[in-house]
Amino acid sequence: MSAPLIELKNIQKHFGPVIALAGVSFEVKAGECHCLLGDNGAGKSTFIKTMSGVHKPSSGEILIDGKPVTFDSPRDAMGAGIATVYQDLAMIPLMSVTRNFWMGREPEKRFGPFKFIDFDKANKVTLEEMASMGIHLRGAEQAVGTLSGGERQTVAIARAVYFGAKVLILDEPTSALGVRQTSNVLATIDKVRKRGIGVVFITHNVRHAMAVGDRFTVLNRGKTLGTALRGEIKPEELQDLMAGGKELAELEGSLGGTI
Amino acid sequence: MTDERIKQVSALRRAMIRPELGATTGTLLVFLFFLLIAGDSGMFSPEGIRNWTVVSAQFAIIAVGACLLMIAGEFDLSVGSMIGFAGVVIAILSVQMGWPVWAAILAAFAICLALGWVNGMLVIKTGLPSFIVTLAFLYILRGLTIWLSILTTRQTIIGGVKDVAQNDWLAFLFGGVVLKDLFAWFADIGLIEKFVAGTRAGQPVVEGVPMLVIWALLLVAFGHVLLTRTKFGNWIFAAGGDAQAARYVGVPVARVKVTMFMFTAFCACVFATCQVIEFGSAAADRGLLKEFEAIICVVIGGALLTGGYGSVIGAALGAIIFGVVQQGLFFSGAESSLFRVFLGTILILAVILNTYIRRMITGER
Amino acid sequence: MRKTLTAIAAAVFAVAGFAAPASAEGEKFVLVSHAPDSDSWWNTIKNAIAVAGDQMKVSVEYRNPPTGDLADMARIVEQAAASRPDGIIVTIADYDVLSGPITEAVARGIPVITINSGTVEQSKKLGALTHVGQPEYDAGFGAGERLGAAGAKKFLCVNHYITNPASVERCQGFAAALGVELGNQMIDAGQDPAEIQNKVSAFLQSNPDTNAILALGPTSAHPTLAALEQSGKAGSMMFGTFDLSGEIAAGIKAGKIDFAIDQQPYLQGYLPVVFLTNLARYGVMPSNPVNSGPGFVTKDNIELVEKLAGQYR
Repeated sequence: MSAPLIELKNIQKHFGPVIALAGVSFEVKAGECHCLLGDNGAGKSTFIKTMSGVHKPSSGEILIDGKPVTFDSPRDAMGAGIATVYQDLAMIPLMSVTRNFWMGREPEKRFGPFKFIDFDKANKVTLEEMASMGIHLRGAEQAVGTLSGGERQTVAIARAVYFGAKVLILDEPTSALGVRQTSNVLATIDKVRKRGIGVVFITHNVRHAMAVGDRFTVLNRGKTLGTALRGEIKPEELQDLMAGGKELAELEGSLGGTI
Repeated sequence: MTDERIKQVSALRRAMIRPELGATTGTLLVFLFFLLIAGDSGMFSPEGIRNWTVVSAQFAIIAVGACLLMIAGEFDLSVGSMIGFAGVVIAILSVQMGWPVWAAILAAFAICLALGWVNGMLVIKTGLPSFIVTLAFLYILRGLTIWLSILTTRQTIIGGVKDVAQNDWLAFLFGGVVLKDLFAWFADIGLIEKFVAGTRAGQPVVEGVPMLVIWALLLVAFGHVLLTRTKFGNWIFAAGGDAQAARYVGVPVARVKVTMFMFTAFCACVFATCQVIEFGSAAADRGLLKEFEAIICVVIGGALLTGGYGSVIGAALGAIIFGVVQQGLFFSGAESSLFRVFLGTILILAVILNTYIRRMITGER
Repeated sequence: MRKTLTAIAAAVFAVAGFAAPASAEGEKFVLVSHAPDSDSWWNTIKNAIAVAGDQMKVSVEYRNPPTGDLADMARIVEQAAASRPDGIIVTIADYDVLSGPITEAVARGIPVITINSGTVEQSKKLGALTHVGQPEYDAGFGAGERLGAAGAKKFLCVNHYITNPASVERCQGFAAALGVELGNQMIDAGQDPAEIQNKVSAFLQSNPDTNAILALGPTSAHPTLAALEQSGKAGSMMFGTFDLSGEIAAGIKAGKIDFAIDQQPYLQGYLPVVFLTNLARYGVMPSNPVNSGPGFVTKDNIELVEKLAGQYR
């Protein structure tokens, strides 16, 4: 594999006296799916917000294509090709799929002195992009609210990909989904990866991570506990790392290994 | 990957998922109803039609602004006070201070736009609900209106605008009447009656289309195209639908909202100017409760109070329903105080219908 | 959905059906006032047109702008003209605003009588047949003369309807009779009783040399009386008010109110209906305007008035 698209080195983030990140290192290469695992409160959210330009790190370095950068706003990060799909802030349910897809970057055509949205083009591209992710919509004018949770995630992913994301950060895309919807989203992640985009897949579900992940990094109490390649680590080991080990192992024993 | 359980979407259901549906049906019902019970009362004579058309057009002018603002997720309760304020500004500048009327009108527009900007910036910068911020301006502007008019004229009504506005080009754009020749011809061929007495004997009873109505049509067309066809319109939906999500994809939410506050103020000023020029006077109590009437039109027109969904055409139909019912109940001989009972009932029904439609769109149960 | 619409239609029918007036055998007249819904003074006129309607066997509809917005009132006059009544009775709350609609109604050949607000000259200019009312400035002036003779120097004019120009004229007339500038002696009292009472109390506290009060009607007179009673000034403060009500009558009897200016609104409702009916039936109309007021109701003639106050007086 090639050099990393984005590399974060020893990132620390303090909110006053609270140390949210105490030295996290992470990288994503083109065409890989790098899973970031961690329990609630492990620092996942703070970390991806740092990566997507919402927070500025207290210390540490961010490198894009090997060059150090600083992000002052989410716009800077987007400009550098880093797109983030948040769990619930991605779509506006009352607006149509097309309007959501193009929101903020509407294609326009001239009509005399006026500029109007080019709905023919917008609808066509939307349907094509969704189809390429394996979702065939009845029409691009239907409201996003009528779509299932997985479909909504896919619209957001397709949007990010279409607008030139090099790195795609997915914040718990499967956490609120049923089994079938989840497998659809995982299939979408696989399609995106195959296009040469680096995917950062945040989850606390080891099985979802194992299904598509090329590499796995576990966060615990604001620190990376290590990174492992696919095949180097077993699901049980990941689970233990995430939970901080012991207690869960005991609980798992008493529940007969069902977690 | 579409779920086969929701695949079956009937034509009826698809037709219902349109913000204007309720208002369209309502408009038809209202007309049908009054044709039946007040068809011969003069309501559908040329003057009767002009009467409810003008009233509806007035509602429509402020409803367009309120509609776009509501879709962008905000309210403006200061619309009514701004109408009173703008009128008094025009009258004081033109009658008391001797400005040309066109300059007074332009000054009023500048002041209103500035007030809209202040409203918007306060809402954006403080993060307070627009309900509270604009409620404050409802009182501030009404108070200033009364104070200014008492201060300059010792009265709360300032007349004499008609005299100074004669032959003023801009005043005509707001208070004039167009298509006079057409209406004179209508009168000649007997479509419209003529006055039988007084100085205007022989002229048609309806001399033309008031500019007020033209303004309403223009604003509705402008608002509709802006909202549904342009990039900015998409941002209006986005800002009201979910401001945070819109910001994440780079929509300048603050700018959109402030612009909409200014547009609402612009509409209020159009309303005020038309009224001042037509009646030749400004009064401190003009525009009382108009903010609520505008919001009612918008809600009847299918917009959601929570923002992100609605239609300018719907709001215009809401204005027609409001105007026709208000004037029509008179023609039908109903007790006028019951109009409010009726209005409240329509409002509740419209909101229930809107909530139902929203659930169908978002798939909530 | 269909249910909802049926409900709407049902509501409409209910409203219209419930409200349809008993159709009299005779002519149809419309009275358009400028008063907001909250103004109780107009009940007398509503009662008067009901009595006149019954006696003459005609139907008289009462219309008003709900908020008192005169621009809305102009629309109501237009509307009244469009419904082709046999006559329109209208107040000239503001000449500029109403001159258009009223002259149009006249030009359509509809008989118009003006009442209450406005002057006889305005009424003539509009082409109305006659005017039944009380000149506002003169009425205020008359009140000022009475209290001025009794020693009034510094006064308070409690204006609960400051947006109506006529109300301001009353205060101005009063000030002119005392020979002083109106200045800040007129307060914008608002319509809420508690608010009016507190404003009056506050004014009297900050202007202790005030020795006379003029209230512009029951809406402001009742709370003002309450404020005076609270501060123990009732009876010692000179206090005149426009218009009558049960409470005002009692106040006059008890010596707490010096006088009420009675413009005899009953006549403003009753006479025009009688005039218009006779015009429609026999073509007759008095040739002079009618001054229904001012009359002063004092302790001397209160007995007569009290019984009917608020309903017919």
